[in-house]
Amino acid sequence: MKHQKVMILAAALLLVGASSLLAQDLNDQLEKATKEAARKVAPSVVQIVTLGGTDIVVTGAKGATFRKALGPTTGLIVGTDGYIISSSFNFINSPTTILVAIPGRKDPVPAKRIATDKSRMLTLLKVDANSLPVPAFVPNKDIIEGQWAIALGRTLDSKRAHPPSVSLGIISAVGRIWGKAIQTDAKVSPVNYGGPLIDMEGRVQGILIPASPTGADDTAGFEWYDSGIGFAIPMEDVLAVLPRLKEGKDLQKGTLGIGMKTPDLYSVLPEIGKVAKDSAAARAGLKPGDVITEVDGKPVIRMAQIMHILGTKYEGEKISLKYKRGDKVLEAANLELVSIAAVTAPPFLGILPMRDDPKLGVEIRYVFAKGPAEAAGLKVGDRIVKYGTGAADTAFTGDVAGRAQLLNWLNTLAPGTEIRLEVARKDGGKSDTVAAKLETLPGAMIGQDWVVPDKLPAVASLKRALEPLESSNPNVKPAKVDPAKVDPAKVDPAKVDPAKVDADAKKVETGLIKRNTPDGDHKFWVFVHEKYDPNVAHALVVWLHPPGKNKEEDVEKFIDRIWEDLCQEHNIILIGPASENETGWLPSDADYVLAAVQDTMKRYTIDRQRVVAHGLGVGGQMAIHLGFNHRDVIRGVAAVGAVVTQVKDTLAAQRLCFFLAGGALDPIVKTIAESRDKLVERKFSAMFREMPERGREYLDETPQLRELARWIETLDKQ
Amino acid sequence: MEIRTHKLFGIGCLLLVIAPTAPAQQPFTSVAEEVNRKVVKLFGAGGFKGLPSYGSGILISPKGHILTCNNHILSSTDLRVHLYDGRFYHAKVLFREPELDVAVCKIDDEVDSLPHFDFAKSAAQPMAEVGDWLLAFSNCFHIATRDEPMTVQRGVVAAMAELRGRRGVFDAAFSGEVYFIDGIVCNPGAAGGPVTNRKGELLGVLGRELKSTQTDTWINYAIPIQAKADIQREEGKTVKIDMAAFVKESIEGKYRQSDPNKAKKDKGGYHGIILVANAVGATPPYVEEIMPGSPAAQAGLRPDDLVVYLDGELVPSIRLFRDVMRQVGPGQEVTLEIQRVNRLLTVKLKLGDQPKEKASK
Repeated sequence: MKHQKVMILAAALLLVGASSLLAQDLNDQLEKATKEAARKVAPSVVQIVTLGGTDIVVTGAKGATFRKALGPTTGLIVGTDGYIISSSFNFINSPTTILVAIPGRKDPVPAKRIATDKSRMLTLLKVDANSLPVPAFVPNKDIIEGQWAIALGRTLDSKRAHPPSVSLGIISAVGRIWGKAIQTDAKVSPVNYGGPLIDMEGRVQGILIPASPTGADDTAGFEWYDSGIGFAIPMEDVLAVLPRLKEGKDLQKGTLGIGMKTPDLYSVLPEIGKVAKDSAAARAGLKPGDVITEVDGKPVIRMAQIMHILGTKYEGEKISLKYKRGDKVLEAANLELVSIAAVTAPPFLGILPMRDDPKLGVEIRYVFAKGPAEAAGLKVGDRIVKYGTGAADTAFTGDVAGRAQLLNWLNTLAPGTEIRLEVARKDGGKSDTVAAKLETLPGAMIGQDWVVPDKLPAVASLKRALEPLESSNPNVKPAKVDPAKVDPAKVDPAKVDPAKVDADAKKVETGLIKRNTPDGDHKFWVFVHEKYDPNVAHALVVWLHPPGKNKEEDVEKFIDRIWEDLCQEHNIILIGPASENETGWLPSDADYVLAAVQDTMKRYTIDRQRVVAHGLGVGGQMAIHLGFNHRDVIRGVAAVGAVVTQVKDTLAAQRLCFFLAGGALDPIVKTIAESRDKLVERKFSAMFREMPERGREYLDETPQLRELARWIETLDKQ
Repeated sequence: MEIRTHKLFGIGCLLLVIAPTAPAQQPFTSVAEEVNRKVVKLFGAGGFKGLPSYGSGILISPKGHILTCNNHILSSTDLRVHLYDGRFYHAKVLFREPELDVAVCKIDDEVDSLPHFDFAKSAAQPMAEVGDWLLAFSNCFHIATRDEPMTVQRGVVAAMAELRGRRGVFDAAFSGEVYFIDGIVCNPGAAGGPVTNRKGELLGVLGRELKSTQTDTWINYAIPIQAKADIQREEGKTVKIDMAAFVKESIEGKYRQSDPNKAKKDKGGYHGIILVANAVGATPPYVEEIMPGSPAAQAGLRPDDLVVYLDGELVPSIRLFRDVMRQVGPGQEVTLEIQRVNRLLTVKLKLGDQPKEKASK
């Protein structure tokens, strides 16, 4: 039957080529072939319904939005015994229930999530069913640009006897998204994510997913829905990975663990700039300066070529490399790739530095119990004056504050690295060089909770924030300034923001202040406690109120009854931008939230290592969004009753820590707890606190509130 | 004409790839030309709230009757019509039918023998199938100047399913089965334009710009010309009206327009299910408690059951459950599919009268 059809088509083509006496209607044939192909695969295309779960943030045409609708989605039967593959996009809200409606069977059946392929963004489900129809597929070698492609989905029509939805297009390209995906101009959207892309003969070419060459999270590429740029994972690759997914373990993308010397992918030789500890590259002995020349037998001269080869690989898979070191060409065979998560844990020395210290070096304010610093014999009041890995040979420059310089350096190192520090002891001022082995930042270890110490030293600051920094350059003379009387004229303008000095000179306004963003369009309030001293660096907490909770009495309650004392005790400034939208926060609101943050940073002495986005419910969701997307500003996310749905990669230079809390009675409390694990999997420092006998409520009158304040106090730990 | 049609369809895009020297006759040219003569551009005065002041319409009589979407531009005091060749007329709205989301206007001038669709004949044809190719004609973005032919777009019938759309917080007016289209055809000004098959036969009326309540993405759809809707008359009677009857009676000037401000009455019967607190925006309808002796108790529902489907429709939230149940009166029966632990059970629930002493909210 099928062959006949193809024959007719072929014959029709020949006839047309030969003469115009054609009786066949070619378009008619194509139309019929489309429908027949869809009908052939239809019995294997299932509808998936999910229930429960959380709000989701996705990127749309006008920036990211919270997705409100979660209609049915699509999946494809890949095993007669009940295995169904779908797009991970369909499960990003961690649904509590998954139901699958199989064509030709009466009732939907509950499904279990078996595993997720986090590289190709596929999720494997299993239902209790037998003798299910598995469709034929097209081998990769037979998928060629220009062929017809039909996208099938089951979102729109809930009637299982009906054909799936159809969109007709062609194969636009193969080997996209670093070798992982087919591109099609058929309309791909939530209507068919998880469904098959099929050819005119009713064979599966691939599984439809949202994808983007530049993003890697669950929703990357969603913004291209229905645009004529759609992607599918080739079915041959899906089937190849199926046995591993059936084992129930999530699959991660495999990486070498190298950073290149320059971010240029296309026009320079692939020279290694950084090798992550414990990575595949480190194990193979690769070093900065090495130039990769061959991967898996293929010569390479650009980083992009390496990414094309590595793009398709999983954690645990092996590759071989050739690289040039000086004049020599070296080889590394059987190199086992590791997951991204394995290589980027933030390091921890185990100290809190003294703040607002213009002198060279870092004075130790606090030594964490059982940390590397304690083991190395460091004491409160000691001053770190030099540091290094082989020897303590790097001195402080005074270009930035000592604690910032030390942190920047530590951030380039991995836990387990042995470092050396030269310290001037508090007692007697004698110098010692000590060795310390870095550990992992507290909260960033799987299965290991971190409790913020109960008591932190009350003195956090030398109260000299407005003074110019001492410099190691003998030509730069530090100005002698009386901190009590700062003369703006004598302060190096490059080091101290004049606005700050202005503010000081005018005697800073305290209390609850109403402000507008500099463009005048958006309102926010600032709370400055009455003992505010511009010479002391303050943490900045951005409160993202729950929908509708930004009336005067809400703000007053939040400050007077909850935060006022904490602000004074822990040197915190609070700001509260007002959401534009009655129903809550839109991620596009981030622009003016950040404008409010910047404005406040100009007016007050803000510690950039302790800028925290904080919110409840949708506000918490917004805090998480803000944290992940604006890491140049936000260092901490404190979210109550909110869930992390998509975890981005850690960035060593822009540390981000999470404090999650949820009420025990909140239906999503388990998912919040799981969010913590998700974050820690990616080596973020994250903690989760459950509040007994509470729903989706704030932390007031709980011990968790005080712990949150102490957590903010320790955000500049290193 | 006959020969030309054969030739037209004989030379598909496939051929163009294989034989690039073939005559430059394209598959849809004559159809496009023919249909375009039966399509009009509509313009209203001004525009408000970011909605366009222009639209599309379909000629359905030689005397200038026009079928279009029942949208805001019809409220304009000066409705103007531009034919495909630039001829320009004023027009008046004759009848609207909100339940079908269409309206009929007429050119306010003595015109005759305009090219038009024979609506009754078209509506008597079988409906298109999923996968059928189609063409959409519209005044989208008013790209076409007023004397130019309309924009023609190609697509296939992606699905036939109930329309569940919204604009902002407003639900779509029409909620029957529509043709979902795999082309991006529902753009500003497109609503009211025709969707035809490859042969230029009328299939449906292009819909508005709506977002799907299922996927939260913009949708592209057309209301089939065979569409029917239940219309509640003031006297409480419900009548079924199809689009062909609406068109016929409108042209004859005797359509009985229903009150556009009529309120749908809540008549919800008593079920006796108390759901868990609606804590989150989308809390699923978990049963907290069953009132003793209630219809739900008789049906065997239990606390902790999760209502998944209501009469075959998914009810993912408590809000939706309540919205649907409000529509079901005493004495009527609904079928619930519930999840109990890991099984799905089907339960029939016959609603009773609301208990007198305590009105349910």
